[in-house]
Amino acid sequence: MTSDGAKPGAASVDTSVNVGGIQLRNPVLTASGTFGYGTEFAAFMDLRKIGGFVAKSLTLEPRSGNMPARIVETPSGMMNAIGIENVGVEAFIHEKLPQIPEEVPVVASVFGTDPEMYAETCRRLSDVPQIKGLEINASCPHVKSGGIEFGQNPKVLAELVRVTRKATSIPLLIKLSPNVTSVAEMAKVCEAEGADGISLINTVQALEVNIETRRPVLRNVLGGLSGPAIRPIALRMVWQAAQAVKIPICGIGGIATGEDAVKFLLCGATAVQVGTANYVNPKAAQEVAEGLVAYAQAQGVSALRDLIGALELPESG
Amino acid sequence: MVASSEAALAGSPTRSDAEVVFNRDEGADNWRMRLRVPGWPRQTAPGQFAMLTPGGLTKLSSDPLLPRPMAVYRVFTEAGGAEVEFLYKVVGRGTTLLSQAEAGEVVGVVGPLGQGFSLPPSKGKAVLVAGGTGVASVYELAALACEKSEVWLLMGARSAADLGNLEDFEALPLNLEIATEDGSRGHRGLVTELMGAAGLDGEEKLTLYACGPTPMMRAVAKLAAERGQRCFVSLENPMACGFGVCLGCAAPRSDGGFSLVCRDGPVFDACEIDWENL
Repeated sequence: MTSDGAKPGAASVDTSVNVGGIQLRNPVLTASGTFGYGTEFAAFMDLRKIGGFVAKSLTLEPRSGNMPARIVETPSGMMNAIGIENVGVEAFIHEKLPQIPEEVPVVASVFGTDPEMYAETCRRLSDVPQIKGLEINASCPHVKSGGIEFGQNPKVLAELVRVTRKATSIPLLIKLSPNVTSVAEMAKVCEAEGADGISLINTVQALEVNIETRRPVLRNVLGGLSGPAIRPIALRMVWQAAQAVKIPICGIGGIATGEDAVKFLLCGATAVQVGTANYVNPKAAQEVAEGLVAYAQAQGVSALRDLIGALELPESG
Repeated sequence: MVASSEAALAGSPTRSDAEVVFNRDEGADNWRMRLRVPGWPRQTAPGQFAMLTPGGLTKLSSDPLLPRPMAVYRVFTEAGGAEVEFLYKVVGRGTTLLSQAEAGEVVGVVGPLGQGFSLPPSKGKAVLVAGGTGVASVYELAALACEKSEVWLLMGARSAADLGNLEDFEALPLNLEIATEDGSRGHRGLVTELMGAAGLDGEEKLTLYACGPTPMMRAVAKLAAERGQRCFVSLENPMACGFGVCLGCAAPRSDGGFSLVCRDGPVFDACEIDWENL
């Protein structure tokens, strides 16, 4: 295998994709919150072998996160309630980013408790050359709307997209929550308000219980479920969103192999993000990128973008 | 904080599929496994750990999903890697799968990880308190410390059978004392009750080390604070990654905020930990 996973003598595969103006050498990104600030993976993989990475969500000021217990393993997955612990936007720009090789595209994830906090964080990140795009984490409870998640109400989501769109001219992705009745409706809201793309899904809201103590396992009571357990849910929602909008989609949810990534492309994703698998195998994202190429070669596919939305449905009736 | 020179000595961690050299039951669900790990660095700090994945990293199982953090027990460095030994207790699905790995099969390894123990000052005195599977974390520390210091190792378990194989420890030039809750070997009671026996209560130049159940470590830390003695503990919070990314293993600090057990620990100066909220 060569560095891109190509077998010697096998046909070359065009792996490049463009996600709402973010040009990527291959469609494999890493999901926010599962890849730190990129620096933690230097010992295990070559960051230049993946499309790029989405950094841990940033807030205007540093946040220290929730009291433990913060994580628990569940069947084919895990739950977390970390609480957006992060170094803050300024420390990210001045201390973390300079450690990342210049040729690695970075997408900054942005979080806040009111739209203006999101917008200010977006403004600070928009002039940094290595940051090729922003991803809005819309799964935070909106304080002024009575704690409802931005991503769970179309009007609240529309306001957030509108305000952040005004704050930046670089590519803007909106990361959608799966904890909604109609993801298609939320995707349309993002498109109408000028988002360049959407990322989905974030973690699925969940609860685990300790029957000895009769308490929730996580101190936060509720947590977000991730890992292979949510992959079929994520595929379904990516497929539904892809039917509803023309802007590109980053598919996220339990992706651990090239085969998993192929499924998301077929359902309409232009790129994918590897998440929980990074914890188990710190080289997972690179192996997903290699696996995509191996699939394309075995199937005689000359460009990975030819797989986007190529799902063949049974004939109706 | 542990001296940064030790982190540098520890070298870069490896991520590899390791071959099982042997994996055997030593009684009462205590297992000893030796892995031949390609790329393991030449130096491992005592008290570091590794994340282990039964079946290896190239063919991942999705259930159980997460690797298991395991203290490095002993390291035998060789060309291009090392043979690394782990002592573990079979307690759940992950460790059951680990116990089923036979010689010649593979186990995924990411390690060595974390910050290890600082050694006691030369010609100083050290008391190591180890409870249950905590003994696995302190062997390399005990072996290094007793080269230049006088060492007491106080070991606790529910019963004699749970102690496992103590031959490695008995071969070291240290004072080994044992407590079992059922009295089947050594002192009947808790291991912390042995701490007065060494006659070192007022010794300020004593370094205490503790690894084991949280109540045990809390008790040792409290005693150390009362006596004005330096104390290091090795924590065991649940973690998903082991290298500072999932932020799941956060331990509350006495000065507010959190430290990550995987990256800033697992070894901490006991006075840095907020024991009330741990």
